[in-house]
Amino acid sequence: MSVDVAQAPPSLLVCERSSFVEQNNRVGSHVEQLHFNYKVSLLLPECSSAPSHLDSVLKGFSSFYLIRKLPIYELLNKDFLETAVYHGSVYGLSYKTRVDEDTCVALMPNGRLCLSLDKYSFQLLGFEGTRSRFRPKDRHIVSVDLTNNSMAPGGRGYLRLLTGLMSRLPLSMDFLLSHHPGGGASLQPLLSRYDWSEHRPEMINQVLPHLSCPSDPKSCDAQSFLEWLGAVDADIGSENSSSSFLSSFVCPELKTVLSRALRVSICGLLLPPDVHRLIQEVRRYLEQTRLETWASLTVHGFADSPVSWRDNEHGHLRGGENFYTLLMFQDHAYHLYLATGAHDTCPP
Amino acid sequence: MNVDEKDGSGVYQRVVLKNSSPYHYLKVCLVLEDELTRLSAVELKHFIITGLKNLYGEVGAALSFDLLKYDEDTLTALLRVYSRGLVKLWSSLTLLGSYQNQACAFRVLQVSPFLLALTGNSRELHLD
Repeated sequence: MSVDVAQAPPSLLVCERSSFVEQNNRVGSHVEQLHFNYKVSLLLPECSSAPSHLDSVLKGFSSFYLIRKLPIYELLNKDFLETAVYHGSVYGLSYKTRVDEDTCVALMPNGRLCLSLDKYSFQLLGFEGTRSRFRPKDRHIVSVDLTNNSMAPGGRGYLRLLTGLMSRLPLSMDFLLSHHPGGGASLQPLLSRYDWSEHRPEMINQVLPHLSCPSDPKSCDAQSFLEWLGAVDADIGSENSSSSFLSSFVCPELKTVLSRALRVSICGLLLPPDVHRLIQEVRRYLEQTRLETWASLTVHGFADSPVSWRDNEHGHLRGGENFYTLLMFQDHAYHLYLATGAHDTCPP
Repeated sequence: MNVDEKDGSGVYQRVVLKNSSPYHYLKVCLVLEDELTRLSAVELKHFIITGLKNLYGEVGAALSFDLLKYDEDTLTALLRVYSRGLVKLWSSLTLLGSYQNQACAFRVLQVSPFLLALTGNSRELHLD
């Protein structure tokens, strides 16, 4: 059997174009449905410092908590369910676990608990699940809605899962947790029982002088624009020629040089409501600024989350990418690019 | 390519592109037996071309790839290669085992059809 070495792994890029003034625009739902965000990167051309209203939103991303060696059955604790899961949105994700080799757990804001297990662990747990879509031979997904009546504390399904996680498969792992809108107060009873630490998302500001940029991002093709944006984020110079030995990467044609641009990046467990607030403030900034300009916002999901958009299964394979870039213009138009790798379904 | 327009005015447009990326990007790190050995960017690229030539001959040595970024202290590099050349480049990196008579290995840290994905790798989140 011969192998085609010229074939690259599959990937998906969804490009949406619409306007914020359109009632049917789907930016809000896309933002909301990517639950576990690791990094937000904002680029503001011709800007050297963010205005105060934008700065306060950038600095106001919610804190998150890291709990050491949390037994997963604690997520089924009756008090935790009543104080946190049933009231508001809990974002929980296992930390430093790899979805292609380890057991990974995610607690989604809609109250769904998702466990990505290897075959042996799945058999030990003894709870209903499905084969992984991407690795059906050696991986299983257990996904339960904790707000469903069948999973109410004391119910049959609840007790079966609780027993499985307490005795047959006593999983415990470092866990990232956050709550909206309650914050730490709603999680305090759980935190108090374990070793935990509070973390603020880490923010880095940088002014980039004399930045080569596509002169008309609206008409620039998606792949070239995303590549250029990636080069800006990775501090890759584009002053090459086609005959350079090291690199022939150049800024897409019809380029212009910006006198400066502000790049802000925030890392941590970032909540979709905070990202949504940031988008609103960037739009406000674009409305107020006199220069003809645009802004781009890229949000990276966690590479090892067992889900990406909505409840869709997510795997790592080569890169684990699941991110979107929102390009916003002054006339309320937007371009939205949603990208996933080989072990992912098409974004909604 | 699927194009889905909600109405005739083209107010809402959604296009799904499958395997459309012309390039793939790799983040690689060179691990050398003698940790004090340093390579310049030109030396690193030449070393990788040597690996391609050893495995795929003159045709392999002609494979076009770019060294987008290189950190001499950590020996970490970002490479760009045409998607159809990814497997050739990756396999030759894997089989490169010796640099100037000392054992070495390339660790492929991340591979993606999107350069942006290499700037937001959650596996680099350290909270300790």
